[in-house]
Amino acid sequence: MAIPVEMPKMSDTMEEGVVVAWMAEEGQEVAAGDIIAQVETDKATMDLEVYDDGVLLKRVVEEGDAVPIGGLIAVLGSKGEDISDLLARYAGSSGDGAAATKPAKDQDGSVAEALVSEPEPENKQASATAPPEELVTQTGRVKSSPLARKLADDHGIDLAAVPGTGPEGRIIKRDIEARMGESLVGKGARKDEARRLRVATLSTGRPSSVEGGYESVGISQMRKTVARRLAESKFGSPHFYLTADLAMERAVAARKQINEITEAQGLARISFNDLITKACAHALREHRWINASYLEQEGEVRLHNDIHVAVAVAVDDGLITPVIRHADEKGLSEIASETRALAERARAKELQPEEYSGSTFTTSNLGMFGIDEFTAIINPPNACILAIGTIRDVPVVEEGEVIAGKRMKITLSCDHRIVDGATGARFLATVRKYIEDPLTLLL
Amino acid sequence: MAEIQFREAIRQAMVEEMRRDESIFLMGEEVAEYHGAYKVSQGMLAEFGSKRVIDTPISENGFSGLGIGAAMNGLRPIIEFMTFNFSFVAFDQIINNAAKIRYMSGGQFRVPIVFRGPNGAAGQLGATHNTSTESIFATLPGLKVVSPSNPDDAKGLLKTAIRDDNPVLFLESEVMYGMKGDVSEDEDYLIPIGKARMAREGEDVTIVAHGRSYWVALKVADRLSADGYSAEVIDPRTIRPLDIESIVASIKKTNRCVIIDESTPFAGISAEITYQIQELAFDYLDAPIARITAKDTPAPYAKNLMEYYMPGEDDAYEACRRVMYL
Repeated sequence: MAIPVEMPKMSDTMEEGVVVAWMAEEGQEVAAGDIIAQVETDKATMDLEVYDDGVLLKRVVEEGDAVPIGGLIAVLGSKGEDISDLLARYAGSSGDGAAATKPAKDQDGSVAEALVSEPEPENKQASATAPPEELVTQTGRVKSSPLARKLADDHGIDLAAVPGTGPEGRIIKRDIEARMGESLVGKGARKDEARRLRVATLSTGRPSSVEGGYESVGISQMRKTVARRLAESKFGSPHFYLTADLAMERAVAARKQINEITEAQGLARISFNDLITKACAHALREHRWINASYLEQEGEVRLHNDIHVAVAVAVDDGLITPVIRHADEKGLSEIASETRALAERARAKELQPEEYSGSTFTTSNLGMFGIDEFTAIINPPNACILAIGTIRDVPVVEEGEVIAGKRMKITLSCDHRIVDGATGARFLATVRKYIEDPLTLLL
Repeated sequence: MAEIQFREAIRQAMVEEMRRDESIFLMGEEVAEYHGAYKVSQGMLAEFGSKRVIDTPISENGFSGLGIGAAMNGLRPIIEFMTFNFSFVAFDQIINNAAKIRYMSGGQFRVPIVFRGPNGAAGQLGATHNTSTESIFATLPGLKVVSPSNPDDAKGLLKTAIRDDNPVLFLESEVMYGMKGDVSEDEDYLIPIGKARMAREGEDVTIVAHGRSYWVALKVADRLSADGYSAEVIDPRTIRPLDIESIVASIKKTNRCVIIDESTPFAGISAEITYQIQELAFDYLDAPIARITAKDTPAPYAKNLMEYYMPGEDDAYEACRRVMYL
């Protein structure tokens, strides 16, 4: 008997999944537990296992196709079996099927993760056929203790993004607590951890460490996401880089002046980064093709009306890009306080998905580490990312005289699919104008 | 409070109850002239006479039936089995009459009877004399099953059992008869049936253990304490009705549970407790429930095998560490 393989619900907020890669060929024999495809959800790429033995009779969708939950992905059965009935059934049920429709549970919940600001799906219609409940739980399974699941639910933590440290990767209480961060972990739990460490030390005579050449560390969900998204970006979109060396004397003076005011008024101190965020936001208004996304699947370029500038923040096990929404409409002080609050929440792992998704442009600053200049990888689906170096004291020539100057290098990485050299250069010139002469931001 | 032996605590309970209620009598093999195979009924024949402390032939089915009939007609018998291994001979009486008469008669008959005696393993007694009968009896609606772990609980629970209007199986332990402990001297010292005892409070793991296993649990808790962890030890005391609320309350705190039980594992008490925990506290579990039981075979005779057969302290300690992911 032909067995349909449907799109499972792999996360709470998932509405559809994209079959990104087929792992089995048509006509191939598969056994329960075999992985036949990889499915990308709004959260991560997951393996699609089959739960029956049989021959993969048909791959119903192509790589890259999005399939709603319960939609048909493949058909298993015995060799030569006629599956036209089954295919017809699925084809027929996709249109109507009000009774079978599983309501989209969380319309606003389709969120991206760090560096995953995917475009809104065109069609948010829920699937036509509801998957059997048991299939859902089987295929969407993340190994976790009941308590861990409850804690994750209580605190709005996505289990798929939590690395499990229990047997066979089971997510247990301490993993969720680690995720919740120190701020949420009760005093008792900290004491517990300290005691555990002490005990580990006592029982072995020294902290448990490795004997040989390396320590094996599991890949966290965040690392996996960073790896996948950035590889996709770097290899999928042709990057080119434009570097400019900006004169910072006026910016330094302006910042000093502004901060005298913020200090007097008890406002958040303005950092150079805030100034740059503001400058970029203003420049983006004038350069719509930089504030854009190249969407191959949808077959279109989107020129975003809103300007949402993301700022890369390093956290313990990776990085995350909280977003300053409508940055062009916000004052420096507002940008400063918002950036500070978001970065703090990011480090405490308290960021909500809507706080780190939906950016239209991203900046990354390594100036505080004394880095002169670097190139950043574009944060998809942005068109560009700006890498910011440190402010250097350098000798400069002005009117034939060598004098002490201040310079800062910024490097724009551009997706050549939508941004050409001249487009990027013009944008960078505007950014230069705003930063080299901050008063122009007032115009 | 006075420090007395387990066997004396049981005797005190019987004697005190027999003094206050003339309808109570003790019947069993060697209970009168010989003062009981384990000297539990020492001196009782002299005080109460041969009409209330009665030696029987070796005929468990017979004297159990006699007791049930007496209970149905207004008396309150205490039936001593020399060991609960011999209660198997009286299964028809216990299972079909004691447990069911009240139900079948629509409440017209009550069966206020206590069956008591040593239960479970007691060293090299071989396969037929080492059975833990808790789950065998507890599976039957109509029976209450009590298994105290210390002299004080034994006295308070036995007095309550004797005053109960339903059949109660009171499971003692041969190896615990000599155990000493402080026991209440209150003549109305009644410990309610169906209430667990929180023996030790802790935060990291809950150990559930009754009867002799309780003492294993305490040793395990000491070892964990030396490691820097605190185990909560709960002695259910009553197998049926089971105080699952206390166990669940503890698991909500510790998120993990180890059950130590001298019964064999299949469909044993540990299985029932585990089921009820997952039903009532599923969302609070951070690890699968572990149980340490007798091995799933008849008891061996050889000393080394017997030691291996019984649920051991080391195994229980390891199980605790395992559920704590250590």
